[in-house]
Amino acid sequence: MPVPILKQGEILIASVQAAMTDRDLLQLKDELADKIGRFRSRGVIIDVTALDVMDSFATRTLRGIAATARLRGAQAVVVGVQPDVAIAIVQLGLTLQGVATALDLEEGLELLRRSTMKVDHCDG
Amino acid sequence: MPKPQSALPFRVTEFAPSDIERRLEFVNLGPEDRGRIAAVKADVLDNLDEHIAAFFDHLAKFEEARGLTNRAELLEEAKRLKREHLVAMVGGDYGRDYIDQRFRLGQLYSRTALEVSIFMGAFHNLMASVGRRIMSHHSTDALAGFEHFTSLKKVAFFDIAIIVDAMMADREQTIRQQQDAIRELSTPTLQVRDQLLILPIIGLLDTQRAKQLTDSLLRAIRTHRARVVVMDITGVATVDSKVANHLIQTVEAAALMGASVIVTGVSAEVAQSLVTLGINLGRITTLGDLQGGLEEAERILGYTVTQTSEAA
Repeated sequence: MPVPILKQGEILIASVQAAMTDRDLLQLKDELADKIGRFRSRGVIIDVTALDVMDSFATRTLRGIAATARLRGAQAVVVGVQPDVAIAIVQLGLTLQGVATALDLEEGLELLRRSTMKVDHCDG
Repeated sequence: MPKPQSALPFRVTEFAPSDIERRLEFVNLGPEDRGRIAAVKADVLDNLDEHIAAFFDHLAKFEEARGLTNRAELLEEAKRLKREHLVAMVGGDYGRDYIDQRFRLGQLYSRTALEVSIFMGAFHNLMASVGRRIMSHHSTDALAGFEHFTSLKKVAFFDIAIIVDAMMADREQTIRQQQDAIRELSTPTLQVRDQLLILPIIGLLDTQRAKQLTDSLLRAIRTHRARVVVMDITGVATVDSKVANHLIQTVEAAALMGASVIVTGVSAEVAQSLVTLGINLGRITTLGDLQGGLEEAERILGYTVTQTSEAA
């Protein structure tokens, strides 16, 4: 099932609704890379609340999305990792290094607001 | 979590009819025994008070049995159950109800902290009292008297096994409850400010506990919407590579939930042993003590603490 991507001001929100296949993940990555440029987005939020499992491909793709977004001038935040998923990721020795994380959508937006504010402050 | 296996049935309902049969086989109770028990019925029933007194008078002699003998209502209950016991013992029916009664008596002993060794002594005294009556009936034929007494003793041993099992099962259950309580107590997660949790860890950190700790921390992060967690390990005496690995995993799992973890209370010995073992905690923020950790957490969250002039 493809992931819908919502645009909210300078931020893109990808809300994962159900278990993702590898192809869905790659499609999400391509679509986000494209839309960040098209909408001149400053932040990307990937909400994984609905996921109850995350494998090595998923974590690697999320790292890839974060790195891609950074290169395109946006910060990616993964939100809503479930406790069980977090434990499983750590025990499998996988990481989301380089990817910002937040508790849920609200916290994610707050985190992006803080970090973009910093940039604005530098500009001014 | 799988329940620890135990050889003891915890409740009478776990006693299958085949178990009862098997236990009667263990004490070698045959049809001729049942006949002999029926023959000595009068010896037991006619002198019930004497036999019961043999049991409880013996208990009264010992300081260790005060838990039972000093509590009037429990003592009355025990005496009533013991009377029931003796009547049932020569009744010839050793089924579910019989075992149920023995279990209740065993649990009563266990609740009053009666030691198995004292109980055994008292029970022997009771059997001696019964034996004396039986032998006096068979004064001309000592062998017949002995055989009658032995048949009854088979039932007595059958009973003892059940009562001791009940006492031990009760005790095991108490121990298990206490262990659970300790486990619950040992990993509290406390909120000190909005979005700030502290997690004091005390004692040994094994794999099981580390898992539980990670689990409860992650759930607390979600319920309290925490952004910073201060994990204090002052109470952890030794940190080896395994424990360090658990700590790293907990910190990383918390990071996935969007919370940053500050580890505090790494003592000089622990720090030295970590360095000697070559364990790299570089990815974890560590600070000397809980105060330092709280101050850093407050800085991250944008809190400033000021002392009012009146208090100073």
